Amino acid sequence: MKCNDRIFGLLMLVLAVAYGWGAAQFPEPFGGSEAIGPETFPTLLAVVLALSSLYLIVKPDPGSKWPPMRTGLELLIAVVVLIAYVLLLQPLGFIISTTLAVGTLCWRMGAAPIRAYVTGLIAGIVVYFLFTIGLDLSLPLGVLSVLEGS
Amino acid sequence: METLGYLIDGFGVALAPHNLMFALIGAFLGTLIGALPGLGPANGVAILIPLAFTLGLPPETALIMLTSVYAGAMYGGRISSILLNIPGDEPAMMTCLDGYPMAQKGKAAEALAISAIASFMGSLIATIGLILLAPLLAKFALTFGPAEYFALFVLAFATLGGITGKNPVKTILAAAIGLMIATVGIDNTGTQRYTFGVLELYEGVDFIIAIVGLFAISELLFFIESRAGGGKGPMKVNKLKLSWKEIGSIFPTTLRGGVLGFISGVLPGAGASLGSFIGYTLEKKILGSKGRFGEGDPRGVAAPEAGNNGASSGALVPMLTLGVPGSGTTAVLLALLISMNITPGPMMFTQNADIVWGVIAALLVGNFLLLLLNIPLVGMFVKLLSVPPKYLLPIVTMVAFVGIYSISNSAFDLYFMVAFGAAGYILRKLEIPLVPIILGLLLGPEMEKNLGHALTTSNGDWSVLWSSGLSITLWALAIIGLVLPVVVGPILRRRMKAAQEKVG
Repeated sequence: MKCNDRIFGLLMLVLAVAYGWGAAQFPEPFGGSEAIGPETFPTLLAVVLALSSLYLIVKPDPGSKWPPMRTGLELLIAVVVLIAYVLLLQPLGFIISTTLAVGTLCWRMGAAPIRAYVTGLIAGIVVYFLFTIGLDLSLPLGVLSVLEGS
Repeated sequence: METLGYLIDGFGVALAPHNLMFALIGAFLGTLIGALPGLGPANGVAILIPLAFTLGLPPETALIMLTSVYAGAMYGGRISSILLNIPGDEPAMMTCLDGYPMAQKGKAAEALAISAIASFMGSLIATIGLILLAPLLAKFALTFGPAEYFALFVLAFATLGGITGKNPVKTILAAAIGLMIATVGIDNTGTQRYTFGVLELYEGVDFIIAIVGLFAISELLFFIESRAGGGKGPMKVNKLKLSWKEIGSIFPTTLRGGVLGFISGVLPGAGASLGSFIGYTLEKKILGSKGRFGEGDPRGVAAPEAGNNGASSGALVPMLTLGVPGSGTTAVLLALLISMNITPGPMMFTQNADIVWGVIAALLVGNFLLLLLNIPLVGMFVKLLSVPPKYLLPIVTMVAFVGIYSISNSAFDLYFMVAFGAAGYILRKLEIPLVPIILGLLLGPEMEKNLGHALTTSNGDWSVLWSSGLSITLWALAIIGLVLPVVVGPILRRRMKAAQEKVG
């Protein structure tokens, strides 16, 4: 499994070159160039990163195993849930989106579905009131804002 | 005597009713975080930073609360080492050696109480050491010029892997990544660097988002991978029977452990792992055949606990006086200071004397509170150990989201945090340490500023960086810090493991 470090080293080498090239493209600051400009420190970093990634390519450590497909899928689901959570936070409001996000995560981590979503709902309601009433911070109410008027 | 005056003022700050209340809340939350499965001290402090902001706390109160959290997490972490033989972090490994055998003999409550007392003693000794040493070091640090500071920052990175660290090249690589992220944004000459025209990047990457993402979200992903969501069954502890005589018998042990721990906490790169390791092995040497180490000797619990808590308070010395943290958790505390617009370092002792001394006094007060809190409430904290992570971690992640959202109200920051979390997971899989990345993010701007000052005064001559005796010493130490772990590290790690296996 030495290829882990090799691939990572290669990616970091590409990053170092791109980063260093980016530094060379900075426009000269107003007032002419001085002993040190905006590109000095980044150039130094690019060199350090390039050297250490070359070392990794030449002398990689035995890497750890990557998770099997199924677990990898679970991880992907978790990341997607987190992204969807952010996406739905405004339109659906805090309580509903939290119920969905926390519930799905609990469920995927092994909790029974009903208990998982109830946990999410309770956590969402408690945190919502803690933040809006206790700490005086606004969290989006979303579709539930119709209830507010009544 | 100047110090004493400052310290009394510090107590005035720390004992103010609302600060005392937040210290108590912090100590309680900290123990909770330490005891809950899957939440390390650095992680816990990171999640609580946004909350400290949203509460709108003044800097000294926020810092007092989070130092109490830091101290409390150390206490709470011991519960799983003793009851389950699962060390929460590396320094806790040595506590398992005698703590778990004690618990198996039905003396879990005694082991927990002894570890609480030893932790208290260790912190107390180290805090006294901090009070004596910090002002001296701060005065000395005032003689540092920009070149010395630059060398000092390099030293901080070089020793961050610690004596037990594995691959120093990965530490350097991680530090470079962190520093590179720190260069994103508009620099002090007004040049846009690596912003790609994205408005949200103009002010740079907020390190709190990076910290919470790297620690909290990657932890969630790790738990999902290891399928450890089920948690442990309910846990019980026996009724505490501890006589004053027994407490007296561990007293000399805690003294030795605390002093050793403090020294290894202050030294760059040694850290808490070494503190607890040296504390334990020395105690074993001193007592020799008189002790029954490895079979549940109370002194075998007390020595590493005192050492490790001594080290964690000792680690605050370089953080407060030089602005250079020596561990992950102190790096997170540094993040808090910077985001409160306080520049750590020697100037802090003169400009923000009330904050520094308030925090030092709060450490003493916090340790008292923890001792009072831990002995009677240990049964409750033990119950927390059985909270299944499958419910806990999603809720903790959600609280982290809300915390970040409430400071910025921006969805962009949240996406960024998720990205950092995924990156953190991959990096941890590759055994790239995360702490140097965070330290790079924190120290990047200061490092570049000092490099700039040094090179401007020398008209671009790079040799200015190693032109004074002090800076040469710092560079030499940095090189030793990188090379030594390669030589000594495997031996030390093997010994720690051998000691562990003999018991298990």
